[in-house]
Amino acid sequence: MLDQIVFYFFAVLAVISAVMVVTRRNVVQSAIFLITALLATAGIFLQLHAEFLFIVQVILYAGGIMVLFVFVIMLVSLDVSLNQVQFNRQWWLGLLLALVLGAQLTIAVAVGRAGLPLGEPAPAKMLEPSTQLVGRVLFSEYVLPFEIASILLLVAMIGAVVMAKKKI
Amino acid sequence: MIPTSHYLFLSLGLFTIGVIGVVTRRNVIVILMSIELMLNAVNINLVAFSRLVGSVEGHVFAIFIITDAAAEAAVGLGIIIAFFRNRETLLGDEMDLLKW
Amino acid sequence: MTGNDLQSYAPLLLHLTLAMALSGVLVLLSSLVGWRRPSTTKSQPYECGITPTGDAREPFSVKFYLVAMVFILFDVEAIFLYPWAYIFRELRWFGFVEMILYIGILLVGYFYLWKKGALDWNRPAVRRDRAS
Repeated sequence: MLDQIVFYFFAVLAVISAVMVVTRRNVVQSAIFLITALLATAGIFLQLHAEFLFIVQVILYAGGIMVLFVFVIMLVSLDVSLNQVQFNRQWWLGLLLALVLGAQLTIAVAVGRAGLPLGEPAPAKMLEPSTQLVGRVLFSEYVLPFEIASILLLVAMIGAVVMAKKKI
Repeated sequence: MIPTSHYLFLSLGLFTIGVIGVVTRRNVIVILMSIELMLNAVNINLVAFSRLVGSVEGHVFAIFIITDAAAEAAVGLGIIIAFFRNRETLLGDEMDLLKW
Repeated sequence: MTGNDLQSYAPLLLHLTLAMALSGVLVLLSSLVGWRRPSTTKSQPYECGITPTGDAREPFSVKFYLVAMVFILFDVEAIFLYPWAYIFRELRWFGFVEMILYIGILLVGYFYLWKKGALDWNRPAVRRDRAS
């Protein structure tokens, strides 16, 4: 029962704030609603027993990436964009195509859901701390992606400095 | 126990909203935020399937995706700053030159 | 199985519910019960002191963005250190070498930032740009 309440509460919260992100005129409000959506997703991760991912989501996404977004929103001037038309000329076509995509995905899941067994996780394994399990998988099977992630971060550092630093 | 398909429905809902944001909005910052929303939806999918299978590999992939999102946000926002400095606008429609 | 999983997080949930309910009730009550008499003095950002001039949303220096960016990228690095620190006894030398390689690659980026002056707040970056 508790499971259901938590899941549906966070699911509804995530969807509502996602809609708000897309529809708000003010970018700062969009950013705040994006934080809500990310935190709601973090709640769903907790409900799914991904404790480590929950913490990563809160620290990195809600605490880190959003700080970057808000800084950039403050960096570029706000008032210019408030008076402009927020949606582009072909918005109806884009909306239509996106809704078609959504409908396709919905049909795919609705048809295929019968094939999904009701997930019963192995209880003994799940009792272990999630961090330990993640670490064991990450540092045995996924060593190469892990090292590549460091190169990705290096490239991101250099790219961001090159992009932003030309003249202050 | 919540069936896995409900997670999938939630995830595809969030993903579709993200797509709508990307294709209809003009403000580049909102477009970037919509992309973050889509990445997030993918993460929910991965973790839900991970529970279904009973392993944590989905969590590992989700962490990689979050890493990717951080790198993407850093570089993407750098590009936005450079773009704003050159064109004095934030509209995605104005991004029509490869080189300034 | 239903509900038992999250039982250990019940205090957290209680906390969350209480915090949300309290803040919601307070905001709602103050908007319902309180009355409003807006005046120009009240809507000023500072109650006393000098009168503010101009807009508060001045576009500020790109250095803030650079610092935030550096923070995020090294935050990601720290996130990978957590599971490693949890199991590094099991991994033995393999994990150690792995992590040295990882940190080594990121150190390259760190020295790049240092060299470029992204970590300096005041002096060298401005002077270098002016010289070129």
